[in-house]
Amino acid sequence: MEQIFRSLAQFWEYTGFANADWQNLVMIGIGLIFITLAIVKEWEPMLLVPIGFGMIVGNIPMFPGLNIGVYEDGSVLNILYQGVRQGWYPPLIFLGIGAMTDFSALISQPRLILIGAAAQMGIFGAYLLALLFGFAPNEAGAIGIIGGADGPTAIFLSSKLAPDLMGAIAVSAYSYMALVPVIQKPIMLLLTTDKERRIRMPVPRTVSQKEKIIFPIVGFLITAFIVPSGLPLLGMLFFGNLLKESGVTRRLAETARGPLIDVVTTLIGLTVGASTQADKFITVRSLLIFGLGLLSFVIATMSGVLFVKLMNLFIKNPSKKINPLIGNAGVSAVPDSARVSETVGREIDPGNHLLMHAMGPNVAGVIGSAVAAGILLSFLG
Amino acid sequence: MTRKRVLAILLLFLAATGIKAQNVSDLIISEVLPCPDSTGRLDGYGRRSPWVEIMNTSTGTVNFGGCFLTDDRNNLKKSLIPKWDRSTKVGPRQVVLIWASGNSSEGTYYAGIRPEAGKTIYLVSNDGRTIIDSLTIPVGLPAGKSVQKMARDLRQMEFEACEEAGVPSPASPNGNQDSASKAQQMAISDPHGFTLAVVSIAVVFCALAILWFLFWLLFERRAARKAAPAAKRGTPDGEVAAAIALALDMEESGDDYAAIAAALHLYLSESVHDLEPGFVTIRRTPSGWDNKALGFRKLPKE
Repeated sequence: MEQIFRSLAQFWEYTGFANADWQNLVMIGIGLIFITLAIVKEWEPMLLVPIGFGMIVGNIPMFPGLNIGVYEDGSVLNILYQGVRQGWYPPLIFLGIGAMTDFSALISQPRLILIGAAAQMGIFGAYLLALLFGFAPNEAGAIGIIGGADGPTAIFLSSKLAPDLMGAIAVSAYSYMALVPVIQKPIMLLLTTDKERRIRMPVPRTVSQKEKIIFPIVGFLITAFIVPSGLPLLGMLFFGNLLKESGVTRRLAETARGPLIDVVTTLIGLTVGASTQADKFITVRSLLIFGLGLLSFVIATMSGVLFVKLMNLFIKNPSKKINPLIGNAGVSAVPDSARVSETVGREIDPGNHLLMHAMGPNVAGVIGSAVAAGILLSFLG
Repeated sequence: MTRKRVLAILLLFLAATGIKAQNVSDLIISEVLPCPDSTGRLDGYGRRSPWVEIMNTSTGTVNFGGCFLTDDRNNLKKSLIPKWDRSTKVGPRQVVLIWASGNSSEGTYYAGIRPEAGKTIYLVSNDGRTIIDSLTIPVGLPAGKSVQKMARDLRQMEFEACEEAGVPSPASPNGNQDSASKAQQMAISDPHGFTLAVVSIAVVFCALAILWFLFWLLFERRAARKAAPAAKRGTPDGEVAAAIALALDMEESGDDYAAIAAALHLYLSESVHDLEPGFVTIRRTPSGWDNKALGFRKLPKE
């Protein structure tokens, strides 16, 4: 009998109840909130459900040494986590993004590409602020990339520059991407006048297939020659787009934008969530990262909107003016930020459809954030 | 077809030549020990021979077979490193030691040169003409000391010849492996981050502005040029507008309006035969609706 009790007591030590900590419970609570937001509010469910569940998985209290945790070498979760740690999930996601992105909106109005560049100021604004708060330059660079509003880019860069902060950075980036409508709308309304919001932009011209095929090749050559350190992201993005537009690799394109991106998104979400273990995540630095991430989003949105207003000062022809409501779309949260432009535009003028125009800066933002990540990597990596 | 194949082969050949040349050019003479002392390393024959260390500074493997080592500027092909030897490949950022025994027939890693104080050792490309790198041995170099090229930071792979004699380090890269990381250097040189921020924003803008300019130049400008005359043609001038107004006034039935609309469509899509005051004349454009050839069924080829 005594032997049975002793075994039970020993077993109790292996259970989560015996090893539970309040921090684990907090993280499990946050994971549950993520899942609730994804299911009830439908905020980025593809991301928040895997991340939320990953948080729960990563914070189940356990007896150390069982070789099952995400940070324990050789465990299943650890093997899956290597895609995040070594940075090979993000380029695969970029391959899928390239294969599903239509760059027509950008090709038909190339001037809108500059809005995608302006919105990257959020990255460097947050970099300056992070330095001010005492982060090291490499950590500040990794935090700043949250302002690019691009989860895979944030994971890629933080895995290279500040692996210890990757969990907080990834969760922050994805959380704010889900909150794009909430964050961006008040800033857009604050910075624009009623007259500016009513600007109707001319219908973009039809883009030929030849232009669509040339774009990924020229785009890749130029950006990769300028920032070779962004090669993994830029190469995969433009390669995916070439698969889509070439017209002869339909099956490859469908795989890249379908099963491949789904598998990688599931794994990246789950493992990033699992990496947010309480002892590594619940720190003052994580809170600072969340704060700085929010600021970087705000700066990025403001920069995009204000840059459009600046461009309008130089456009003499009234019919060619740009609606500043598409400025927010310069951040690369595709297509959420473009949808915000459309929604806010139609609230003011129901007949004014801005989605097609906003997709231009939106996809330019994807290129811009990858270029910015490459620059930060070459300076700080 | 043959011409295309020849062109393709030629391009491949040129590309291959270019790649090879580029790879070999990444080699440097990183260290030379002209006069070994009693502590010097033994070669394969048990002698303390002088040696030349060659380093591959690239991130790819380089085959230095077919290159030459020489100590005579007028005889660049003095000592050939054997071709077709698998062991003449040097890995990325790795070094290889060549014994300067004065007799290249002793093996792949033996050169027919004798480094001496005051001489310059040259590494010559496999074309026998291009000097890839050289290292001069200072006069008065003590025995047992080597002349080296050092890297301040081995990650950067930027080497400079050292003025002072160094302690030999055969078969290991010369340079500081524990230097400050880029981030640490940045923390010192740009503590507030303004320089990095300004430079980075400028680069992002430049990259995307170049894209914008290229696509404006390649496509948008041409599209605008094409659209301009079409728009001009598609706009009815005063006389044509008056003719349309008169026709609309005179006609009343729906069929008449449909006919006028069809005529206008053809007119605006460049199907105008000629222009007469007060008339809109449309060129006949055969649709081929009754063309029998279009009704034939295609038979599969046997």
